[in-house]
Amino acid sequence: MTTAAPARSTQVDARHPHVMDAESVSLGFGSATIMQDITVGFPTGTITALVGPSGSGKTTFLRSLNRMNDKVRNFWKRGSISLYGEEIDGDSVDPLVLRRRVGMVFQRPNPFPMSIQDNIVAGVKAHKMAKRSDLRDIAETQLAEVGLWSAVADRMNDSPFRLSGGQQQLLCLARALAVKPEVLLLDEPTSSLDPRSTEAVEELVRRLTPGLTVIIVTHNLEQARRLSDNTIFFYQGRLVETGPTVELFERPKRPETARYLGGAVDPGVDR
Amino acid sequence: MSTAAARPERPSLGEGSRHISPRRRLADKAWWGVCAVALLLVIVPVFWVLEGVVQHAVGGWSWSIFTTTSTGVGGGLANAIVGTFVLLVGVAILAGLAGIGCGIYLAEIARQSWYTTLLRSASEVLAGIPSIVLGYVGYVALVVGLHWKFSLLAGLIVLSVLVVPYVAKSTELALNQVPLGYREGGEALGMPRTLVLRRVVLRSAVPGIATGLIIALAISVGETAPLLYTAGWSNSYPSSHLIHAPIGYLTYASYTFFEDPSASVRALSYDASLLLVVLVLGLILVARLVVRLTQKYAPDRGEGGGRRERRAAKAHAAK
Repeated sequence: MTTAAPARSTQVDARHPHVMDAESVSLGFGSATIMQDITVGFPTGTITALVGPSGSGKTTFLRSLNRMNDKVRNFWKRGSISLYGEEIDGDSVDPLVLRRRVGMVFQRPNPFPMSIQDNIVAGVKAHKMAKRSDLRDIAETQLAEVGLWSAVADRMNDSPFRLSGGQQQLLCLARALAVKPEVLLLDEPTSSLDPRSTEAVEELVRRLTPGLTVIIVTHNLEQARRLSDNTIFFYQGRLVETGPTVELFERPKRPETARYLGGAVDPGVDR
Repeated sequence: MSTAAARPERPSLGEGSRHISPRRRLADKAWWGVCAVALLLVIVPVFWVLEGVVQHAVGGWSWSIFTTTSTGVGGGLANAIVGTFVLLVGVAILAGLAGIGCGIYLAEIARQSWYTTLLRSASEVLAGIPSIVLGYVGYVALVVGLHWKFSLLAGLIVLSVLVVPYVAKSTELALNQVPLGYREGGEALGMPRTLVLRRVVLRSAVPGIATGLIIALAISVGETAPLLYTAGWSNSYPSSHLIHAPIGYLTYASYTFFEDPSASVRALSYDASLLLVVLVLGLILVARLVVRLTQKYAPDRGEGGGRRERRAAKAHAAK
């Protein structure tokens, strides 16, 4: 059973073809530098894949886009990241509002220890985005949007931990979408899921754009190729190459890109 | 045996058991023996105490101990029972607020610094101070120093100080065990930190916190020494006065009446002991119940949560 997804307003601002921009961003912890001098933009309504070997800094970079690193010890950041031209580290910026607008879903499904319905509306309640009497409808709409409604319709008050891993991840996506984000950050969202659940998540992400901009970190190159409009290749803390996914995969300009996308474990060494 | 063979010989799997060396067999037996002794050390005293207390108490048992107060030469235990419950509720409030607050502060709010180290160490030292010493401190400071005399409040404060470290520690541990994913999930939704703490983190720590508090209450119910110095003893029901009025409690009856020349008073000593044992068992049951009731939405943990998982799998298969 599929229910039509509610329409999301696409707010393409002519002055800002990019939802988010990173300019000369360097990131690190203490004396270690994780990312160096990254300048890249994320076009509105597209899916961008961040790929690169483990330790290339993709996840740290992704988490910086909604300031999830703020509380990590010794974390530092230079350069600027902006959302529709507005600096996300500005003095007047409320990180809670930033995170409502730039949502995030993690590698492992992390439902809260509360009922399925309460999970979906947790963010809605926190931001006081709806009346109490509307919460059930919102939960239903969100679950329908991610294609989970038929599976959980009769157990909205049950524990989310009785769902399968894939269903739990869809639940987390529904929870993140319920607060109407403009950007969704996905940190290897399918790496702990089976192929069918992976497909469900990918299908959902495709359906969400262009109403939403998606930035996804993935180790699965096939997934990046299937899913994304643009791909950014990181290696050793630097942005090596970025461009439309098809171009990058078929005609990579840099040898490291070619080697990594071609299956090399260490793109720095020629096989 | 292969000596010069190119490939190493594969031993048959079936021969293994016959080749366990005598040393390994002996070590195996010895460890099982140690485990059995350890098990007995836990179980035997429990049943020994239960058997002794029940046997002595049942002999002279009379239900009137619940309705009559003690007289000094006999009577009942009603005043001590009420007194113990008043102390229990008081400690639950005082030690609960202070201990849980301290645990939340250490686990969630404070950053690591010399101050948190000091707080943690002080709490650990406090947990190690003998209760009779605390009782004497309470006597000097509160009963004599502040002229409170033997009183409910003096007893309450000393008992609470005694168990606060347990409550703080168990609260801190319970909070530290909350998966990082809950916090990150809440943060990523833009939930304020306090809200994540209240709605998500504390909720999943409730079983641990409640268990710690209830065990602390069980400990405080069984304390005698600090109360002898601070609460005194009274043959009448607790009054509404927090200070200047002594109060009765079961451990006093258990401890003092035991050596009384009068047989009827000695019988009260066993009755009080039985009531204490039953009360502590009841508290432990309550702790179990709280854990069970608050885990409705908890993830299955390892083998312990297997039953629910099996039930879910069965329900799934039935569809």
